[in-house]
Amino acid sequence: MTDSTLLKTRLQAVSNLDFSPSDTVQSAEQISRPSLSYWQDAWIRLKKNTRALVSLYIVIGLALFTLAGPILWQVDPALQDLNQLSQAPSLPKQAIFVEEHTRWEGIVLENFPAEPEAFLDVLPAPTNLRTAETATTQAVRIAWDPVVGAGGYAVYRNQHLPESINDLGLPLGTKLAGNEVSYEDRLNVEGRDYYYSIVSTDGYDESDTYITLKVTPDLAITKTEALSRGLITEESIVANGETIDLEFHPFGTDYLGRDMLARLMEGARVSLFIGIVAPFLYVMFGIFYGGFAGYFGGNLDAILMRFADFVVALPFLLFMILFKIAFGIGPGESGVLPMLIALVLLGWPATARLVRGQVLQIRTQGYIEAARLLGAKDHYLIIRHIIPNTMGVILVTLTFAVPAAIFTEAFLSFIGMGVAPPTPSWGSMCNEGVKTMLSHPHELFFPALFISTTVLAFNLLGDGLTEALDSRMRSRE
Amino acid sequence: MLAYTFKRLLAGVVTVWFIATATFIAMHSVPGDPLMNDKAVTAEIRANLEKKYGLDKSGPEQYLIFMSNMLRGDFGISFTQQNRKVNDIIRDHFPVSATLGLLAVFFAAIGGIVWGALTAIYRNRLPDIIIMFLVILGISVPSFVFAALGQLSLVKINQLLGSSVIPVAGWGTFGHMLVPSLVLGLGTMALLTRLMRSSMLEVVNEDYIKTAKAKGLSPIRIFFKHQLRNAILPVLTVLGPQIAAITTGGFVVELVFAIPGLGRYFVQAVQQLDYTVIMGTTVFYGAFLVFMVILVDIIYGFVDPRVRLQ
Amino acid sequence: MTDSILEVTDLSVEFATYGGRVKAVRGVSFDVKAGETLAIVGESGCGKSVTVQSLMGIIPMPPGEITGGVAKLNGKDILGLTSKEANEFRGVKIGMIFQDPMTSLNPTMTIGDQIAETLMVHRGMGKKDAFDRAVELLDKTKISEAAKRAKQYPFEFSGGMLQRAMIAQSLACNPSLLIADEPTTALDVTIQAQILELMSELQRTENMSIILITHDLAVVARMADRVAVMYAGQIVESGTVDEIFYESAHPYTLGLRAAMPSNKTTREKKLTPILGSPPDLFHPPTGCGYFARCPYAMKSCEKMLPPECLLTAESNHQSRCWLQHPDAPEVQELFQPARTQEEAPDAG
Ligand SMILES: Nc1ncnc2c1ncn2[C@@H]1O[C@H](COP(=O)(O)OP(=O)(O)O)[C@@H](O)[C@H]1O
Ligand code: SF4
Ligand SMILES: [Mg+2]
Repeated sequence: MTDSTLLKTRLQAVSNLDFSPSDTVQSAEQISRPSLSYWQDAWIRLKKNTRALVSLYIVIGLALFTLAGPILWQVDPALQDLNQLSQAPSLPKQAIFVEEHTRWEGIVLENFPAEPEAFLDVLPAPTNLRTAETATTQAVRIAWDPVVGAGGYAVYRNQHLPESINDLGLPLGTKLAGNEVSYEDRLNVEGRDYYYSIVSTDGYDESDTYITLKVTPDLAITKTEALSRGLITEESIVANGETIDLEFHPFGTDYLGRDMLARLMEGARVSLFIGIVAPFLYVMFGIFYGGFAGYFGGNLDAILMRFADFVVALPFLLFMILFKIAFGIGPGESGVLPMLIALVLLGWPATARLVRGQVLQIRTQGYIEAARLLGAKDHYLIIRHIIPNTMGVILVTLTFAVPAAIFTEAFLSFIGMGVAPPTPSWGSMCNEGVKTMLSHPHELFFPALFISTTVLAFNLLGDGLTEALDSRMRSRE
Repeated sequence: MLAYTFKRLLAGVVTVWFIATATFIAMHSVPGDPLMNDKAVTAEIRANLEKKYGLDKSGPEQYLIFMSNMLRGDFGISFTQQNRKVNDIIRDHFPVSATLGLLAVFFAAIGGIVWGALTAIYRNRLPDIIIMFLVILGISVPSFVFAALGQLSLVKINQLLGSSVIPVAGWGTFGHMLVPSLVLGLGTMALLTRLMRSSMLEVVNEDYIKTAKAKGLSPIRIFFKHQLRNAILPVLTVLGPQIAAITTGGFVVELVFAIPGLGRYFVQAVQQLDYTVIMGTTVFYGAFLVFMVILVDIIYGFVDPRVRLQ
Repeated sequence: MTDSILEVTDLSVEFATYGGRVKAVRGVSFDVKAGETLAIVGESGCGKSVTVQSLMGIIPMPPGEITGGVAKLNGKDILGLTSKEANEFRGVKIGMIFQDPMTSLNPTMTIGDQIAETLMVHRGMGKKDAFDRAVELLDKTKISEAAKRAKQYPFEFSGGMLQRAMIAQSLACNPSLLIADEPTTALDVTIQAQILELMSELQRTENMSIILITHDLAVVARMADRVAVMYAGQIVESGTVDEIFYESAHPYTLGLRAAMPSNKTTREKKLTPILGSPPDLFHPPTGCGYFARCPYAMKSCEKMLPPECLLTAESNHQSRCWLQHPDAPEVQELFQPARTQEEAPDAG
C-alpha cells in the first residue's frame, strides 16, 4: 500500500539534511574492470574449474610418465622374467637360490611289489601325501605311501581345492608301478597355491578315492639365471638355500613375464605419440584447408568443402585398416607411421569445416573490412586477424581430437590391425591382456586404466577450455 | 520435402561412388602380388586366376570393370574361399551385424534420452551426479573393455546360477544379442545422455517454456509436451553419424563375443588379404552408412516441422 | 481503493548467482485498477520483467527468490503459491505476452494447438472445440485466413503475426488483466503501431486492465492511463500520464524525457542521453539509487534513501527524491509542490 501521508509532514520529520551539492565524484564509468587479454581471461576461468585443472595436472603427469618415467624406471620392457609370469602387482619378491636342476630319481620302494598280487574290489587312496623336498618354482617333488593292491598312481594338479573326484584338475602324469611313490612337477610352476591329488590305479582303472595336498612353491632361482639377469655377479658369494631379491614389478608382469610398468611406459610412447601427433598434424592441415576455402570463398570453397564431405563419408575404421594394407603393412605387423598417416588423411575434414565457418564469420566482421579498406594484404589479414581469432576454437578441437585418436589406436590395436606385438601400445597390451582376463585381470586392467584416464583427462580439459573460451565470447556480445 | 529427399539421395549415390573409387585406389596401391598367398600356383592356374579376377588388364580397365560390377551389385568371388561369392558372404553375415548395430543404436537412443532427461530433472542433485559420473566413464572407457567386462560378468552370473542362463558367446537367440548390443551401445548412450542433458537445460531456459508456465499449464504437461519434445530434436540429428560409429565399432564386440557378423569377417579377410572381400565389404558398409545417415535425416524431417515444411 | 484488481506492496526479489545476490527488485508497490492501463517504464535491467514475472510465479527459483512483499489479485494472495494453486489464475485471470514473439512460442507445435491447449487445460474443452475457438481468437486478433494459419507453425509466421497469436493465446480465457512485457520492442516500427492499436481495441471490447512494460516513453504517452517509473529495482515516480509528462517530480523522469524524441524536438533542443550506467545491483546504494547519475545530487542523497511519498493531497502522484523536501533547493524543470519558497536562495 502506498503511504498516503502528505509529503510535507512526512519529509519534515527527517532533519539534519544537507542540501549542498554532492562533491562525490560522479563517475560515469564506475564499474570498469581491468581489461584482460583473451588468453589471460580464459586462463583465469580455466583455473576456477577444478575438474579441468585436475585434468590438466593428469595430462602433465602422463607426459612425465612417458618422458621421464623410463629414466627413473630403467627396466627393459622386453625382458622376460620367467620366474614371475603373469604376476599380479605386489611388493618386491625374493627367491631361494638353488642348484641347477638335476634329474630326480624319485622314490621306488624295494620291498613293495610293482605289480599288484591280487586285484581288490575297492582300492583305497594313498596316505601320507607330502612334499619330498622344499617345493620351489623350479620343481615340486611329492611322495606318498604305497597302497596294497595298487598297480600305479595318477597325479593331478588343481588351482583350487577339488570338490569331487571329477574336479581334480590337470592330469600331470601317471606312475605305472605300485612301488613308484613320488612325482616331480616342473610344469610352469608359479609361486601360488596348488592342490596335488593322487589316485591309485590297479594298472588299468583308477579308484574312486583320492588324497589331496596343498603346496605353495617358493620362488627359486638358479645361479645361471640370476647371473644372466644381473641379480648377482660372478664375485658375489651366495650359498644354496639363501634368498636373493628378485626384480621388483610394482604393476606385476604379463604372460611372458615382462614388467608391466616398463611396458606401460613404452606403450605410452606409442599411444600418446599417435594420440597427440596425429591430431596435431590433421588439425594443422584442417586449418590450412578450411582457412583457404573460407577465405577465398566462391566456387573454390564449394568444391573444396564438397571434397571434405566425401572424406567424412568414408567409413572411418574400415579405411584406417585399408590404408594400413595399402601401405604394405601386413597383418600382424606394426605400423605406427602408417596409422599416423591414415589418421591424418581421414581426420582433417572436421577442423577444416570448423575453421572455414569461423573464417566466413570473421570475414564479414567490420574490422576485417576496415583493414582491407586500409589496404591490408590477404596474407596479412590471415596471419594477423583471422588465425588469432580462430585459435580458441582450434585449441578446443585439438583437445577433443586427442582422446579420439587414442581410442582409434587402441581399437585398431585391439582387433590386431594396429600396433602389433612385440611393440607395446596401450591398445595392443589390452589385446594381450584380454586373453588372460579371467585368471590375471591386471594385464587388461592397467592398460585399460591408462587409456581411460588419458581420454577422460583430455575430455574434461576440452570441456573446461570450451567453457573458459566460450563464456568469454558470450560476455563480449 | 520430396525434392529435399531426392537431392539427398542423389548426393548419397555420388558419395558411394567416391567411397568405391577410394576403396579401389587404396586396394590397388597395396604393394606385392595379390595371388602370392596361394601356394602351388602354377603358371597355368595363375593365368586362369588373373583372368578370373581381371588382373591381366590395365588399371583403368580394371577400374571400369570394378565400377560396372559394383553398379550391378556384384562384388565378385572371394580370393580365399574360391567357391564363395562376396555377395553371399555379405548376405550371410551382414544381417547379424545390422541386428546387433540397430539394437545397440536403439538401446543407446532410448537410454540416452531417458538418462539425459532424468539428469536435467534432478539437476545438480544426487541422481544427476551419479548418472553424469557413469556418463564420464562411458565416454572414457574403450568399448573393448566394456565388451570384456560384459562377457566376464556373464561368466560370473552363469557360475553363480549354476547354469548358462544367458549365453556367453555366439549368436541366435535374443539372449545372445542382449549383452553384446548393450555393450556396443554404451559409449553412444553416454554421449547421447550428455547431449540430451545440455539440450534439456537449454530448452528449460527458452522463452516458450516461460510462456507455457504463464499459460497455467501443469509442470508435467510442460515437461512432456513442450520441453522433452524440443530437447530430443538435437539428439536425433547426431543419431545418423552415431549409427556409423556403432556399426563399425561392432568389430570388437563381434570378436569378443564370437558373433558371426560381417565385421568379424572383414577383420578375417584383412588378415588373409582377401582382396575382393575387403573391397566388397568396404563399399557395402560405406553405402549402408551413407544411406542410414540420409534415412535418419529424412526421419528427422518428419519430426521437426521446420525441416519438413521447407 | 476497492476497484483495484491487483495490489502489490513492497515486493522484493533477489537472485542468488555466482557473483553474489542480485537485488533485482527492492520494495516495489503499485496497484492496477479495473479497465486501466498501467505503464511501467525504465531502462533495461531495472527490474521491470522480474517484477511482473515474480507476480506470475515464473521466475526461475532457484536462483530467484521473493524476499518480501504481498501481491493481491482481487483480494487474494498470489505470491508463493504452488504451481497447482497458481494455475488457477495464470492464463485464466492474468494473461501474459512477452518481448520476443519469435522465441516465445513452441517451435514444434502449431499455433492453433498452442492456443487450444490453454482452453483444454482451463476450460476443459475438447480438442476440436478448443481448436475452433483458437481460430476465432486468431480472427479476433486480425489474422487473416485464421483457419489456415492455425495449422501452421511459428516459423511460418512473421514477428508481428506471432505477437498477434501470442495476444490471442493470452486472451483465450478472457483474463481481467493482461501483462505485456515490452510487446513491441522486437518489432518493426509500423508493426509496433498495429500491435498497440490492437491492444487498446481489445482492452475496450474485453474490458480488461493492462500492465504495459516498456522503455519507450512514446508508447507510454500513447497507451497508458497511469505510469510507474522504475530505476534500479525501485519505483522512483508514479502518477497519471499527464503528471509524469508535465509535472515530472523526479530527476530520472526528467532524464528519460530529455532522452526521448518528440514532436517538439527542434534543431535547438537536442536529445540528451543520461550518462553512465545503472548501479550494481549486487551492492545497491544505501542512499538514492539515482545518486551516481543525478545532475542535482546533494550530500544527503548518497547515504539516505528518500522515502516514497505523495506530492499533493489531491492526486496520487508520488516521487522518491530529496528534492521534494520542503527545504530542498529549487530545480527549474522539476515539479516541487512542497518546497517552501523562503528557504530557496542558498549560500552558493
Ligand atoms: N535468472 C536470473 N538470474 C540472475 N539475475 C537475474 C535473473 N533474471 C534477472 N536478473 C537480474 O535482475 C535484474 C532485472 O532484470 P529485468 O527485470 O529482466 O530487467 P528489465 O527491466 O530490463 O526487464 C537484472 O539486473 C538482471 O541481471
Ligand atoms: S534524491 Fe538526490 S540523487 Fe536522488 S534523484 Fe533526488 S536529487 Fe537526485
Ligand atoms: Mg525485460
